[in-house]
Amino acid sequence: MTESTDETVDQPTTAAETGSKPEAQSETDQRGATLSKSNVVLRVDDLQKSFGALAATDHATFEVERGTITGMIGPNGAGKSTLFNLISGYYDPDGGTVSLNDGEITGEEPYNIAERGLIRTFQTPRKLEGMTVREAMMIGPQNQPGESFRKLFTSPGEVGDSERQNLADVERILEEFEIDHLARQPATDISGGQMKLVELARAMLAEPDILLLDEPVAGVNPTLANKLAEQIRRLNDEGTTFLLIEHDMDFIMNLADPIIVLNQGSVLTEGTPDEVRSDDRVADAYLGGGSV
Amino acid sequence: MAVTEQFLELAANGLVYSSIIILGSIGLSLIYSIAGFANFAHGDTMTVGAYATLIAFGAVGGAGFSILGLPLGFFVALVIGIVVTAAVALVTERLVYKPLDIGSIGLLITSIGVAFIYRALIQVQFSSDSRRFDIDRLRPIEPLVEYGIRITKHDIAIVISAVTLVVGLHVLLQHTDLGRKMRATADNPDLARASGIRIRRVELWTWVLGAGLAGAGGAFLGLFNLLAPRMGFSELLVIFAAVILGGIGSVYGAMLGGLLIGMIVSMTPLLSTVGIPIGGEYAAALAFIVMVLVLLVRPEGIAGEPVGGG
Amino acid sequence: MSQVNAREYWTDMNRAEQGVATFMAVTIGGLLVAMLAGGLDPTYFLFLFGLGGMFALMSLGLNAQWGFTGLINFSVAAFFGLGAYGAALMTATNSPVAGGFDPIFGLVLGLVLAAVFAVAIGIPTLRLRADYLAIATLGLAEVIRTVILNERDLTAGSQGLRGIPGFFENWPVLSTFPEAMPGLRIEIIPGQPVVLELSFWEQLLNVSLLLVFLGVSFFVLRRAHRSPWGRVLRTIRSDEDLAKTLGKNTYWYKMQAFVLGSLVMALAGGFFAHLNLFVDPSNLDPITTFYVWVAVMLGGAGSNRGALFGGFVVVAIREGPRFINELPPAPVRNVLEGIVNVIPSVTVEIPSIVLDAGPLRLLLIGLTIILVMRYRPQGVLPPQRELIWPDAIEEDEKARPEMGVREAKTGEIDD
Repeated sequence: MTESTDETVDQPTTAAETGSKPEAQSETDQRGATLSKSNVVLRVDDLQKSFGALAATDHATFEVERGTITGMIGPNGAGKSTLFNLISGYYDPDGGTVSLNDGEITGEEPYNIAERGLIRTFQTPRKLEGMTVREAMMIGPQNQPGESFRKLFTSPGEVGDSERQNLADVERILEEFEIDHLARQPATDISGGQMKLVELARAMLAEPDILLLDEPVAGVNPTLANKLAEQIRRLNDEGTTFLLIEHDMDFIMNLADPIIVLNQGSVLTEGTPDEVRSDDRVADAYLGGGSV
Repeated sequence: MAVTEQFLELAANGLVYSSIIILGSIGLSLIYSIAGFANFAHGDTMTVGAYATLIAFGAVGGAGFSILGLPLGFFVALVIGIVVTAAVALVTERLVYKPLDIGSIGLLITSIGVAFIYRALIQVQFSSDSRRFDIDRLRPIEPLVEYGIRITKHDIAIVISAVTLVVGLHVLLQHTDLGRKMRATADNPDLARASGIRIRRVELWTWVLGAGLAGAGGAFLGLFNLLAPRMGFSELLVIFAAVILGGIGSVYGAMLGGLLIGMIVSMTPLLSTVGIPIGGEYAAALAFIVMVLVLLVRPEGIAGEPVGGG
Repeated sequence: MSQVNAREYWTDMNRAEQGVATFMAVTIGGLLVAMLAGGLDPTYFLFLFGLGGMFALMSLGLNAQWGFTGLINFSVAAFFGLGAYGAALMTATNSPVAGGFDPIFGLVLGLVLAAVFAVAIGIPTLRLRADYLAIATLGLAEVIRTVILNERDLTAGSQGLRGIPGFFENWPVLSTFPEAMPGLRIEIIPGQPVVLELSFWEQLLNVSLLLVFLGVSFFVLRRAHRSPWGRVLRTIRSDEDLAKTLGKNTYWYKMQAFVLGSLVMALAGGFFAHLNLFVDPSNLDPITTFYVWVAVMLGGAGSNRGALFGGFVVVAIREGPRFINELPPAPVRNVLEGIVNVIPSVTVEIPSIVLDAGPLRLLLIGLTIILVMRYRPQGVLPPQRELIWPDAIEEDEKARPEMGVREAKTGEIDD
């Protein structure tokens, strides 16, 4: 799994360490997220989850390399969302392990996993009633001092400074995404596609090592979809690894490399977009199983 | 009194009380599954049934032959009470719940308002004093007293009537078209709609059946105990405990839950006899604790579908 | 804060706020007029105000749990009762465990009890989904009430605790204030004097205590709301999974909100003990829980000012039926009849329904719940401002966001 990707990331640590052993020593950064020296950000090993008699995840094993935009496709019912839920801690697996930066996160609480650097988005987010866009984004940064009830009264100055900084960060990132004009609009007044951009921006405020995107362009018009793809590439250049599920083949084939193909709860194959496109087994899976 | 005797007496009473709770819990479970929300007015619906029966019985009178110590007029009044309760529920559904376009939590809160209105209307007529049906109270059945069992023919009538109603419901659910549609809607509303079932009708019938059974339960509660405007609300939490123990989404679970909770509540005095210092006054509290434990350990109850992870 | 320019302040409010302000002004004005005209006993006026403030306090507490965080808490009455019993157990003359202590200890005990039981109730229930949380909190509140009712050796059971002193009984100046103040007799309308004597000054002390409690709670809750902490709660309310995915330990935040709200409710209970001077298990009747729910629904979930407004309206619902038990009320009826009967040869009597206070109250509560849910689920004063630390926003930005009213409807939470 050492194919060189076009989107090689400019990371001094990993460049020197390519080929280092999987169990590299881990250091922790200020957040407590594990800084691994290996080039595998996320490792899923023999993961299993059954609902009653149905094995939604059936001995799934794969890795996501640092600095990639890795795609995940598969017919309906292949278990992609279940896999995301297992990785991000919303489901407990029946067996197998998940590791983030060489630290095990199997079955951890979602907020713990987020603190360690894995953030995910949801396919169908609920509407955020009664908030402006910038307010909805202020929830993104982790470990804000003002989130401690005590500090609201003992260190208001610190809280104020952090809020000002966060607000500035929010405005900056909205500018980078070219949606800063939406900052003070009610969050319910923006289009679905714009909301996806906001969610991506907000997720970035949480400073993830790896971002799991669950169907980021479902129901989004092509122009905004392109914008999303642009932003994902830019963020990837700046160092964030991505794992995304999508049904829109054009979108994902043009954006992601490698692509993992899931079928009936396990990994069917993986490879470059061309390899996957020309793999008969993949076509069979789609025709035989669900629909594209 | 020896432990065995106390056990038998409490168990016998428990059977009667359970019958009443089951009539309430089935209705609550049906409404939860099909109308989709926790109906906090269900207890007061039972109160409506009790008082409707009271008024009807006042009109019909106690003449005629008796079955198990209950005049024919009582059974007539009971039927009237059931019909009135069902009608009240239908009117409420049409006027209050249907026009609302809010989620199940909003409906839950609204149903609290409905509960207050039911109780207010009854209290306007009847004041907050308690009263009884104008039927002679009976003495316990002689041969059974020997075994420590003190139940009356009325109690037997209650159990038999409840069983009849429950069996009737079972037959309806399993062997009629409506029953099939109700079960399908409870299982998967979208699929049911897609296969052509008219959900609206199923919903209306659910209210009729659920409220009707509750009304019967209320009348029996009034017979077993007494009538007071608060009577239904006092049982509401016990009924919730029964539904949760049995498993939301399962009518048969509700029956089992009703039996178990009814027995737990009735047999609490036994605990002191065997050395556990929890008095009979904590019977209801015990039921609530059981309910919370179920929610913690196995939220789907005995027979319900697993919650979450789906 | 910038200078408050009265005219700007008025136009800055939206119509709902203007309506409420007018309503409050008219009502309080009307009551003051009635009082000065000798028609309304001033002591009773203060008592009503105290009651309104007490419900407003409980509403603030519930607002922190339901309005901020979306927790359907039906155990309000239990925490109110714990606060009341804490105060009573320490100070009442027939208290089985203590008695005769300074009320400060009672207040502390009430708060401690509330915190302990909030955690005890929160641990099993805060992971439950909304409707189960509702049922479970109602059940556990009943357990608490049953224990208080039956453990006579601890609580004096159904007898209740009596002989509770006023809160300031041991304080240097304030304890003698009511007796020291002269009786005043003011006659604005001849023959209808306004008498201010001992009971009035005692009530004045009580009301002052309440205002302190209200002020502190309002300050704390307002700061907590417009902050990152408040935002996390708000996000939990709308979409708990989202909060988790961004690294927030939602269970812990819910517990904090639950405990905070419960402490405020216990404060109200403590106040009640020293107002009523008698406490018994009926104070934990679930009806109180639903009164407070009506107050918060009316005011607008998440709105602190709304909670205050709702609290006072609920007291009107609770106390009004004592005086007005005809629908339509007699004065209204007289006026209507007077108007209609102006037409010659027409003598009409407008029919009325006479109701006892008890069922009338229940009816009003039930109708209010249904009408609010139907026509104004977001409440009268839904929260307006962004939940961002005020110091971090520029002055002129502090007004509303660009587009209209932001509304969180009562029925909509992360379900």
